[in-house]
Order: sequence, then structure tokens, then C-alpha cells
Amino acid sequence: MPFLEVNDLLVHYPVRGGIFNRKQRVVKAVDGVHLAIEQGQTYGLVGESGSGKTTTGRAIIGLSPITSGSVLFQGRDIARSGTRMPPAVRRDIQMIFQDPYSSLNPKKRVLDIVAEPLRNFEKLSAQEEKRRVRQLLEQVGLSAESIYKYPHEFSGGQRQRIGIARAIALKPKLIIADEPVSALDVSVQAQVLNFMKDIQKELQLTYLLISHDLGIIKHMCNFIGIMYKGRYVEQGTTADIFENPQHIYTKRLLSAIPDLDPSKREKLAKLRGAVNAEYEQFHGSYFDDEGLAHPLKAITKTHSAALP
Amino acid sequence: MWKTVARRTVIMIPQIFLLSILVFLLAKAMPGDALTGLLDPSIDPAAIEAQRERLGLNNPWYVQYWDWITKAVQGDFGQSFRFKLPVAELIGQRMMNTIWLSLATLVLTYLIAIPLGIISGRYHDTWADRFITGYTYLGFAAPLFIFALLMLWVFGFHFGWFPTEGSVTPGTKPGTWAYAASKIYHILLPALSMALITTVTTVQLLRSEIIDTKQKDFITTARAKGASESRVYNRHILRNSMLPIAAFFGYEITGLIGGTVFIESIFSYPGMGELFLSSISLRDFSVVTALVLLYGAASILGALISDLILGIVDPRIRIK
Amino acid sequence: MGNTYGKRPEADRSPSGWRILWREIVRDKVALASFIFLGLVFLAVYGVSLVLDQKQIVTVDLFALNQPPSADFWLGTDYGGRDVFGQLIIGTRNSLSIGIIVTLLTGLIGVLVGLVSGYFGGTVDNVFMRFVDFFMILPTLMVVIAFVTAVPKYGVVSFSLIMTAFLWMGIARLIRSKALQERELDYVQASRTVGSSHFKIMFAQVLPNLSSIIIVTMTLNLAANIGLESGLSFLGFGFPESTPSLGTLVSYARNPQTLEFRWWIWLPASVLILVLMLCINNVGQALKRAADARQRRG
Repeated sequence: MPFLEVNDLLVHYPVRGGIFNRKQRVVKAVDGVHLAIEQGQTYGLVGESGSGKTTTGRAIIGLSPITSGSVLFQGRDIARSGTRMPPAVRRDIQMIFQDPYSSLNPKKRVLDIVAEPLRNFEKLSAQEEKRRVRQLLEQVGLSAESIYKYPHEFSGGQRQRIGIARAIALKPKLIIADEPVSALDVSVQAQVLNFMKDIQKELQLTYLLISHDLGIIKHMCNFIGIMYKGRYVEQGTTADIFENPQHIYTKRLLSAIPDLDPSKREKLAKLRGAVNAEYEQFHGSYFDDEGLAHPLKAITKTHSAALP
Repeated sequence: MWKTVARRTVIMIPQIFLLSILVFLLAKAMPGDALTGLLDPSIDPAAIEAQRERLGLNNPWYVQYWDWITKAVQGDFGQSFRFKLPVAELIGQRMMNTIWLSLATLVLTYLIAIPLGIISGRYHDTWADRFITGYTYLGFAAPLFIFALLMLWVFGFHFGWFPTEGSVTPGTKPGTWAYAASKIYHILLPALSMALITTVTTVQLLRSEIIDTKQKDFITTARAKGASESRVYNRHILRNSMLPIAAFFGYEITGLIGGTVFIESIFSYPGMGELFLSSISLRDFSVVTALVLLYGAASILGALISDLILGIVDPRIRIK
Repeated sequence: MGNTYGKRPEADRSPSGWRILWREIVRDKVALASFIFLGLVFLAVYGVSLVLDQKQIVTVDLFALNQPPSADFWLGTDYGGRDVFGQLIIGTRNSLSIGIIVTLLTGLIGVLVGLVSGYFGGTVDNVFMRFVDFFMILPTLMVVIAFVTAVPKYGVVSFSLIMTAFLWMGIARLIRSKALQERELDYVQASRTVGSSHFKIMFAQVLPNLSSIIIVTMTLNLAANIGLESGLSFLGFGFPESTPSLGTLVSYARNPQTLEFRWWIWLPASVLILVLMLCINNVGQALKRAADARQRRG
């Protein structure tokens, strides 16, 4: 039994309009996603904007309503529509948000922000609560003195650490990190990512990392899923994807990763040309009439792709 | 575009329906009914009861509502016991006066607002702008009835420049030039009093629109391309700044409704607002309900006009 | 060490919303003067009205009709021989009181409806907003006047309730649109993922972010409500006769004789209304600038 299993997940949004505001068509943000994550792993979800990766993450944690499908967390269905997530599961799954500016309430002190989950789940005395918050802040590398400060007094990287402190306050098992560093300066990105790796070991966390940046994904993840227009295009271990890409869309994504070594510039340009030519040529057969990917086909035990 | 109109009009129907129910229930809640004014107190109570039965006043409220609304739609609002006239005829006599007053106010409002707004926006942070902004501050704070009263006191009574009551000098023959002149003369002070206050929001809106537009990139582009200053203002800034003002037009109508009640009362101007107040004091309720219904319909129409203009002006908010 | 944290005032680290608002008022000299003036009027009116005998003031005195200002009657007397100055003090107190009561009531209802409507969105929002739209369109003045005449037991309480019933929609609409913006921000989503209830999120997370706009709107509404009350009293549909308001004094000017020849009856009240509204608006505008960081003066 996998730690987290998502089966045939559909998230559709109605588009309303017309004189009587009726449903006119649906936007298929997520259209049949399967994924399975083992405990302690980091699973990377990659795709361009609008591919449905963020919606998938939000659907798992219950922020986006699920149209159909199931989300099994440790074998328990946690996302049946119309029911609230059981509190025990709510504690175990937390989220790190993309924008460190809007994800912290500007009117709240750090103490109130980090203590919010504790106040909901644990009845602590004010003293005990403060001690825990200070401890958490130290854990994420911030000064314990900052508990009375407001979010605007911190830099982006520091704010993201506050967000992480809030996420780990309840000692969760799974953390969904939605583009956790894309709003940060490049110089700070590596810091935050390495720090996320450290606390993963420390707290035995499982990550679902959502990103559009293949460099980050390669650095962080053991297992990767690639999404395009709400569907999976390819999934496999990091080695499967980076060394043996099968789908033309994956190949194209990989060829777009910049290389800092100028001597390889020409080689890379040639490779891109070849991949592009292949993409143009086989586009029709790799995607269906609506331009969507086909169902996944297994290639090896770990590797599958949406081949024609 | 036609969809926007259709949808917006569809929204209007339940609004008018709700309004009519509200007005009807209000009428029912008011002390006395249609018979109170008509009947001689010496008539025997049994006869009154028979009369009530005959007029349907003992029916359940929704039946009475239906009778009332079907008649109202045909223009029959009952009788005014004070004037012994059909309400529709009575209102008809007063309505033109209010419409003239409103029109004059609207014209004056824009005649004042547009130059002041343009000066204030174009030359902002100059003395002229500070003066105009000061005026808008004052006008925004001042209640209409106080301002109108002061105007009447100063220009009507103290200086005697304007007539202090009525809509026309008594004895003037309708259709003559003297009659028209007298009408305009009577309308001038009330309309000006109201316009000087209502214009303030439009001046403020126009000023901030112009200042906003001035800083937009397309204005910089126009300047960079060498357009003359007057061309930049007349072709680019003004055209873009006037649109919100146009959209505001419908709400002006709604604002005028409240305003005319005060103005007509203060200047003893025989319009619908004055009729409303005197009818309510004398408990002539059939007139009151008809007027509330009419004013409500005018407000709903005003909002409709505004939304439609806004839809034409700004394609983003059109209903798809 | 532990205990000192709790006691330390956090204001020295970052200014709270209230401090920013206060700072803006102090910086704006006109607003500060208005604020001080309002404070003085408050003290004077509520203080003096404690010693004044309302019964005696509203009692008709046939030996002193329409007297001009004198040492006995600082602002003369009205057509019933009643002291205008005393009426002015009591009228101001009544007008201010009802203005404040109506503002607080409309604020309470408006914030509640707006917050719930904007936070939940969807059907709840649709139903609420159609309702609010309808009430916004009504010709408020007429409907209030009609209600005032229709209510059987008419008094100060029913008058404030009628005013409240027709004036809460503006603030509801404003708060709703702000709440609609707030709920899209990630901090709201974050609160959900850490297990806070909708109720907690609305009132403990979103509401503090709307506090400055609520204060600004309520200040500006206070001026508008005082204006509307005195307007209604002026037309004769406000306070009952026995409870004079500023509008009641102005309404004596509907008699042309009084308007033309006896300025002392209506002019002081008119000027006072004007000045009060101007001052409240000045404070409100300064607060508005404070709430909108782009316009802040410093």
C-alpha cells in the first residue's frame, strides 16, 4: 500500500455565462491523474503553467473541490466530496505556499502565525505555546526573538521559513510544496531547498514538490510526474525521466534546460533543433484530436509514458 | 452587446416586482384605507362594511395586491381624497415641473463639473486646483437642504434676485414667451442650488480620472511621438477620462430623486416631491404609494442606464 | 526570560493599524484641528446637556415669542418662546447620538453580511447581493419617510431602526468586495490547511485586514447619517417633536417669515451641521489616506 495514492482524479470547473448564467462548458483543470508516493520520498510534479499541477496539489489537501476520483492517504480515502477532512489527517498533511508575501497574514505577529495550527489542534498554555514557537523558529533558522515581529519585517526567504515553521508545527507526515522557491531570489532558492532537504531527514517527511523548474526537481526528487493540460504525460524515477525520456513533450522540456557551460552551447542548440523537429513531426500521433495526452503505458516497473 | 441588455433587463423585472410588493405592503401598513377619505362620517357602519366588501378590501392581501397592480399597470392608481382627482392625473400635472427641474439641474451639473474637473486635473497642485478641491470638499460635506436654504435666504430674500416660491408667476398665460421666461427664472435658483452640490462628485471623479490617465504609459507614448500638448489632452486624456463620467450619469438620476424632494420643499416648487410631502402630511396615501412606486421605478431605470453605459464604455464588464 | 516577552509592548517594533491612522491625523493639520474641534463639541454638548433641563427648554413660553438674541436667551427664542441655545445643545446631542447609534448598527450588520457573503462567495453571495442590490436602488429617502408615517408607535428607537434598515447595504457591499479579494490570498488557504474553521478565518484572519477600511467608512458614514437624520427632521419626518434635533431647528426656516427675519433660530443650527459634517469628513478623508498606503503623506 503506497503512502499516498491518487486515483483517476478529476477537477473540473464550470464556466457560466449567458442570460441566465447557466453552465456553458467545463474547464478540465485536472483530467484523470493517477499517482502514488512512498513514505520518505520526494515526488516532483512538473508542468508548464496551466498544466494542472497546482490544482492537483490543492485537490489532495482539500483546497480545490474534487469532481471525481479518490485520494488515499495511508489507505484512507480523505477527499470524498461533501465531507470534511478528518482532523487526524488534516494534521498529517500540510502545505508550503508559493508566495511568501500573501501566505502570511500581514496583520498577525509571527507568534500568532506559527501558533495557529497549534491552537487548532493542541491545547497548550500560553507559556508552552511560546516555547514551541521559539523552538520551531530556531529549527527553521530564524531568531527566537522574532516572535513579536510582523511579516513585513522579514525578507522573502525568511518569510518562506516562517511558512515552513507553520507547516511543520504539527509534525506532519506529508508536505505539499507548491513552487516553494519560485518567488524567491535565485541566491536564496538553494538555501531554502537545502533546508527543506534537511528537515525532511530530521522529521521523516514525504514531499510532493510542485514546480516548473526541472533543475529544482532533479535536485530534490526521487520520483517525477510530468503534466500537460491536466493529464500525465510521463512518470518515472528521476533517472528514468532524465536519462531515458520517452514522450516528445518530456524530451522537449528537458532540452530546454539551460547549461552554464559555454563550450556545450552549440551541441545543445543542435539537440534542441533535433527535438523540435521530432516534436513537429510526431505531434499528431503523440496527442489526441483535442491536443491532450493519451493514457499512460508502462515501459518498465517504474517508468510509464503516454505513448501513442 | 444585446445579451448584456437582455440580461440586465431580466434582472430588472424581479426588482420592479419586489418594489411593487414593498410599496403595496407599505400602503397597507399606513393608517386608513381608500375609504377613509371618501366617506362621510355620518354614514352607518354597516354600509361602510358593505362598501369595503364591494371594493375588495376584505380579500386576502395577495388578491388585493393583484387588483392593485393590474390597475397600476394601466395607469389607475385610485383617487386622491384631498384633490378629488384621479392620482394619475394629479401626478401628471406635477411631473413636468419635476422633470424640468431635474433637467436644468443635470445641465448645470455638467456645465459646472466639466470645466472645473478639467482645470483641476490638468493643472493639478496649482492654486486653481487647490481652490476647486477646497470647493469640492465643502460641497461634499454640506447637506443639500442647508445649502439650498442658505441660497434661498441670500439670493431669494436678502438680495431679492430670484423668486422665492412657485414654478411660474401667477397670471402668466401658458404658451407665451413671458410664460417660458418666468418658468426659467423660477427654476434657476433651485436648479443651481442642487447642481452646485451634486456636481461635486463629478468634479472629483473627473479630476482623479484625468490625473490617473496622465500617468498612463500610452500618454507618455503619445508625447514621445511628438503629439502637441493640446492634442494629448483633447484626443487622449479627455476621451479616456470622460468615459467613467458618462457611466455615472444613471446614478445622477437616482441622486436627483432625493434631491428634488428637499429642493421642491424649500423653494415651494410644485413638483412631485412637494406633492409627496404634502400628501404624506395629509395622509393622502393613494398619492404617496403611487409616487413611491414611480420614484422607485425611476431609480431602477437609472441604475439600468448606468450599467448599460458602463457596458458600452468598458468591454471588460460586459456580460458574456 | 520567558515572562518579559509577553509584557513587552510590540508597538515599538512595528506600528499597528491604529497607530498609522492616528499618525496620519496628527500629520494633517486640518484633520487634527477638526478632530480637536469635534472632541470639544462632544464634551461641551454632552456636558452642558447634563445640566440643562430638556423639559423646561421645550416648554412653550408665551411671553417670549421670537425674541432676538439677548443676555437671557443667547440665541433668542423660537415661535414658541423656547430658548434656541438650549435647543441647539440638546439638538446637537440628539443628532450626534442617533448618528453614532445608526452608524454602529449599520456597521455591524454591513460588516457581518459583507464578510459572510464575500468570504463564502457562490450561492450565498449571489442571494445576499441580489438583495443588497435591490435595497441600494430603492429611493431611500421616500421609503424611509413612508415607513416613518406607517409605523404606529413612533419614537427615537423605531426611527433609528428604520434608518438602520435602509442604510446598511453600502457598507455590506464594500466589505463584501474587499472580503472577496482577501479570500483569494494564500494566507486564507494557509489557515484552512492548518485546520482553522471558516468562522475563525473570517473573524480572526480576514476581519483584521479590513479594520482600517471599516473605520474609514464608518467615519464617513457618521457624517452622512447625521446629514440624513437632520434632513429628515428638517422635512418633519425625523425625531418626534418632543426630542429636538439640529434638523428640527433648521425646519423652522420652512416658514418664510422665520427664514427672512429671524435668522437666530435656524442659522446657528445650519452652520453647526455644516461644520460638524465638514470636520467629520476631514477626519474621514485623513483616515482614508492613511488606509491607502499609496496616498499616505508620510
